[in-house]
Amino acid sequence: LEVVKKQLDMNATKGGLVIFTANSNPSSRELGKRIAEYVVIAVAQFTYLKTRVQIQESVRGKDVFIIQTVSKDVNTTIMELLIMVYACRTSCAQNIIGVIPYFPYSKQCKMRKRGSIVSKLLASMMCKAGLTHLITMDLHQKEIQGFFNIPVDNLRASPFLLQYIQEEIPDYRNAVIVAKSPSSAKRAQSFAERLRLGIAVIHGEAQDAESDLVDGRHSPPTVKNVAAIHPSLEIPLLIPKEKPPITVVGDVGGRIAIIVDDIIDDVDSFLAAAETLKERGAYKIFVMATHGILSSDAPRLIEESAIDEVVVTNTIPHEIQKLQCSKIKTVDISMILSEAIRRIHNGESMSYLFRNIGMDD
Amino acid sequence: MPNIKIFSGSSHQDLSQRIADRLGLELGKVVTKKFSNQETCVEIGESVRGEDVYIVQSGCGEINDNLMELLIMINACKIASASRVTAVIPCFPYARQDKKDKGFFDIPVDNLYAEPAVLKWIKENIPEWKNCTIVSPDAGGAKRVTSIADRLNVDFALIHKERKKANEVDRMVLVGDVKDRVAILVDDMADTCGTICHAADKLISAGATKVYAILTHGIFSGPAISRINNACFEAVVVTNTIPQEEKMKHCPKIQVIDISMILAEAIRRTHNGESVSYLFSHVPL
Repeated sequence: LEVVKKQLDMNATKGGLVIFTANSNPSSRELGKRIAEYVVIAVAQFTYLKTRVQIQESVRGKDVFIIQTVSKDVNTTIMELLIMVYACRTSCAQNIIGVIPYFPYSKQCKMRKRGSIVSKLLASMMCKAGLTHLITMDLHQKEIQGFFNIPVDNLRASPFLLQYIQEEIPDYRNAVIVAKSPSSAKRAQSFAERLRLGIAVIHGEAQDAESDLVDGRHSPPTVKNVAAIHPSLEIPLLIPKEKPPITVVGDVGGRIAIIVDDIIDDVDSFLAAAETLKERGAYKIFVMATHGILSSDAPRLIEESAIDEVVVTNTIPHEIQKLQCSKIKTVDISMILSEAIRRIHNGESMSYLFRNIGMDD
Repeated sequence: MPNIKIFSGSSHQDLSQRIADRLGLELGKVVTKKFSNQETCVEIGESVRGEDVYIVQSGCGEINDNLMELLIMINACKIASASRVTAVIPCFPYARQDKKDKGFFDIPVDNLYAEPAVLKWIKENIPEWKNCTIVSPDAGGAKRVTSIADRLNVDFALIHKERKKANEVDRMVLVGDVKDRVAILVDDMADTCGTICHAADKLISAGATKVYAILTHGIFSGPAISRINNACFEAVVVTNTIPQEEKMKHCPKIQVIDISMILAEAIRRTHNGESVSYLFSHVPL
């Protein structure tokens, strides 16, 4: 592949820019190709010689953008990225910018009982390997940006998803934006505001029990641990939560329900939400999520469920899942990533990419 | 006074158990699993606050998964206030790309040698050892081979590749004498085994009576097992830095040297602040 050098601005890095896709499997290279098309540059080649990595062209003094999408083999993906970043660093690249649309291990970002905060570990490893900048999208927790000591651009997919709603859902004005649990209520609200629609929140039994495990050391201790407390200590005990049966706060009768979330992986909670919404009178149910992980038998479960359509972006390759389930639709977000690449390389402002993004998005 | 706590990663439970047995300890409770999205999750099941922690994980099998698991376990122990965390990595991954020298790490590294265990095995299992020849399958292993040969007071030989022309297959040339002797090939790792099988053929045609292969790390990927079964080895001996049970079922020529006592002794000495260098030339009982 020949690399076409772009015209350089005064602020741009003298050496020019190079884009690599780090993935060794072809379906993950798709996004890289699309991004590169917008930036009018051919994607440079990295080869994997058994376990060795070889950069096929000079990166000395250049801005190197490494695009990495997370595939089935998360740990291999991470190692591939680290090896590439380090290879570029030792080859004297000027800047090494990671373009990682879905940041892996972002669900392990809080202290669990004697667990590891893997996002922090990953952030440290990437910075140590030589990453100088990170472009990602819809981080599961915004605080993850703080784990890095390099600039992090957390782009948003919401403008694309909103556009999809307005263009592809004919009677969207009769829709209600739904949060499938109270934790995604803020996101639902930011969508609803921009579409001038109402929201509904689902709350109840079938919720994610995992939220209780965050920092398994409870303070104050729950009733169960009474025996462990010294009798003379007058510590007030925490009343364990009593979850009401599943309820929908807000009216979805005779409307389209659009469930929004950042990640769709294990679909059980989405299926339960869809059932409930159907019972309460919603006539069509959409699920919109930025990152479509859709692991194990998610496609099959969605196909058999009350959900009408699942819309995800192409941050994570999901071709196989689409073959198994006709309800999955893709929104292409490569444009915003390539725009980010162009602006970073030319030293231009990124604020245009964040216009109309509220505090809660 | 901190206690030793040994945790095992999922790469080599058997070796970890052996190490713990030798030290008279139980393996620490830890749960390692993968979520449905293939992300690794680690939860340490007992307190490590103020303890001297050793995590045993070998760079074999699914290397990247095992590596991430190791990193996450180390991180988990550190933030659970372990006093010190030491990684015991019998087979260091990506070793063919970087040298595992001390200068590459900011932390203390103890690179133990299988050599003492290898010498012991040779004396106990090869009756004709006093009249054998130690052979290196490539020029790079000359130092390793001469060290063993000197300690056994036997001869050594090496095989080197001669590249005649650009498109021609390399010719293997034997430098040294193996006629009417038992030849022992020694190398640090065996992956696809192409090289050592060719070397064995070469040695037989040069007059060796029997050919043994002794390798520290038996990776045995791809066609390795079938190549060994079709080659003329008396035995292929590896250490248990990498689990070999499965492969031994498919290949009766493979024998295993247990090095768990070397690792256990290293752990004990490190914990007590004793010198580890004794292990560079002796096998603990």
